Amino acid sequence: MTAFLDARSVPNATILTPDLAIVGGGPAGISLALALADSGLSILLLESGGTSFDPKTQALYAGEETGVRYVPLDAGRLRYLGGATNHWGGWSRPLDAIDFETRKGVPYTGWPVALSDLEPYFPRAQELIEGGSWAYAKGAQGAPLPLAPGGVSTTWFQFSKTKDSPLPTHFGDRYAAALKAAPKITPMMQANVTAIRLSKDGKRVERLEVATLSGNSFMVKPRFVVLAAGAVEIARLMLASNDVMKAGVGNGNDMVGRFFADHPIPRDVATMVVFDGKLDPIYTNATPQPGNPDLIMRAALSPDAGFMRAQGVAGSLTTVENGAPLDTLGTAAVVATAQALGVDASRAKAWSLGCGMEMTPDPERRLTLSDARDALGMPRLKLHMTISDDDFAHFRLTLAELGRQLLAAKTGMIRLSYDSRAQWLAAMDWGNHHMGTTRMSADPKSGVVDANSMVHGIGNLFVAGSSVFTTYGSSNPTLNLVALTLKLGDHLKKVTA
Amino acid sequence: MNRRNVMAGMGAALLALGAGVWRFGMKHYPDTPYDDLLDQVQDREAAATLGETTRETAPGLAARLRAAKPLAVQAAADAGAGRTVEISGWVVPKSVADYAALARLNRPL
Ligand SMILES: Cc1cc2nc3c(=O)[nH]c(=O)nc-3n(C[C@H](O)[C@H](O)[C@H](O)COP(=O)(O)OP(=O)(O)OC[C@H]3O[C@@H](n4cnc5c(N)ncnc54)[C@H](O)[C@@H]3O)c2cc1C
Repeated sequence: MTAFLDARSVPNATILTPDLAIVGGGPAGISLALALADSGLSILLLESGGTSFDPKTQALYAGEETGVRYVPLDAGRLRYLGGATNHWGGWSRPLDAIDFETRKGVPYTGWPVALSDLEPYFPRAQELIEGGSWAYAKGAQGAPLPLAPGGVSTTWFQFSKTKDSPLPTHFGDRYAAALKAAPKITPMMQANVTAIRLSKDGKRVERLEVATLSGNSFMVKPRFVVLAAGAVEIARLMLASNDVMKAGVGNGNDMVGRFFADHPIPRDVATMVVFDGKLDPIYTNATPQPGNPDLIMRAALSPDAGFMRAQGVAGSLTTVENGAPLDTLGTAAVVATAQALGVDASRAKAWSLGCGMEMTPDPERRLTLSDARDALGMPRLKLHMTISDDDFAHFRLTLAELGRQLLAAKTGMIRLSYDSRAQWLAAMDWGNHHMGTTRMSADPKSGVVDANSMVHGIGNLFVAGSSVFTTYGSSNPTLNLVALTLKLGDHLKKVTA
Repeated sequence: MNRRNVMAGMGAALLALGAGVWRFGMKHYPDTPYDDLLDQVQDREAAATLGETTRETAPGLAARLRAAKPLAVQAAADAGAGRTVEISGWVVPKSVADYAALARLNRPL
């Protein structure tokens, strides 16, 4: 059993020489370390925090935000072992095949890999997130909301639930023992990587600089490096390491930090009325499945690939939330419509709808370095946040289609809540699903990493996490980023052999 | 029960009221020249509340509706074919909106 090392006890100027250094002990870093535990590689897992929250370490995450109101950079993530899974919701769903496609009329879409490249890794990723048996396609037991044929249909979330607890899996707590038990993995806490130093030709990482808040610093000279510090911090580390490549590591084409994305989660986007008042609770609650309490599912409504292609709309996952009030006009709309359709609405009920939306990729939604510095002397970040009117308009089209399908099935009807940008923005929350800042591309000019998650042109530097997502889909990222990380693990086994 | 639930309860009660009218007998309204059309609308008050002001005059609108299929047939066909309109965000079949507009134009003062 290797205990966790504490970087504060590593003497200054020490040089450590593992085969592989993993920067960051969130779900990406932990999944990768465990996947390579038996590979024969000596692995140093460098984690900035300890095993619990510490305000001084968390303060290293602070930055500035401009543009559309967004979550402060030190609020939407956690800087200690397990990373943001220490406060995640556990909502999980694989990306869809269309998410990887080049979509006509939607610029900057198209990954250099397909869903089928990830599929072999989903079973293990699902085990790691403790999402229960794979039932996304089959769905849950229960009565689906009757919808006429059309562009929107019921789809499924599953939920992470850690062993013997109602909480989602906190990767740090859950896998600490496994990390300690792996003889070739050395997890090191309080170890902040502050710079990536390249060889003079810029083609290899020579060393990482590590510092602690207690004041000591040392070096790591690994054969291979994987950055797994989360989509915001990975960009910061690359941009701030600008001695050999003046614009930052891997930033020869000015792509690092661009295309930042999240899932907008506007509240109360619509009111849905069901004429007979009957809606299976699987739509409103995360529901343990009968005889299988570890399988927790909830239904949502999403646009089909055909509708997305035909209408040019992005992905979205609409959820049914709370019982909703109906004002006089709403009541009149329901009475008049139900009567015209010949349906009894005397037991009608209304619910508010929520959603997670996909954003259109935007190079101007980006992270850059600011003039401020943190306690370790690293430049802080500035996030410029944008969201386009098209994103709202597209999602509105999807909701209107859902409304049409409800009417055509004589099931119910819908009221769309917002039709101005100001209304959408006033209702806005965010998923804290940071993505896209080191996007994957076949062509180095349009991205930062290649199909194997290697930083274009730097043979021993790789990235794990949702920063490599080329586009975002509407699914929550963690299951998918863990699957991609496991794929990277397989690739590393080959290239390090 | 929070404020929201109270309001939701009120909405449900209002719905029950409208539906009750529909179930237990037609209300009586003052005569209009368009009763052949408006008799297809069981709750004219609800329809008039939903109805938006329209540029069409009552005779023009009525002529158009008389030339179309009866409301019950047309509403289902509109929904199936995606002929829907939005009234303050409510997505309704076009024919429902038309009949609601006619009810509004003929709302007793
Ligand atoms: C409130 C909230 C709710 C969420 N809910 C969901 C959900 O329901 N479903 C879902 O799929 N996702 C959810 N997410 C997102 C999810 O938590 C992230 O997708 C996931 O944690 C990202 O994993 P990661 O390993 O790439 O990065 P992180 O989890 O951010 O981990 C990065 C790790 O790197 C360490 N680190 C950072 N900088 C350095 C450095 N310089 N040197 C060394 N170590 C460093 C950090 O301390 C941290 O441990 C949620 C996030 C938040 C904030």
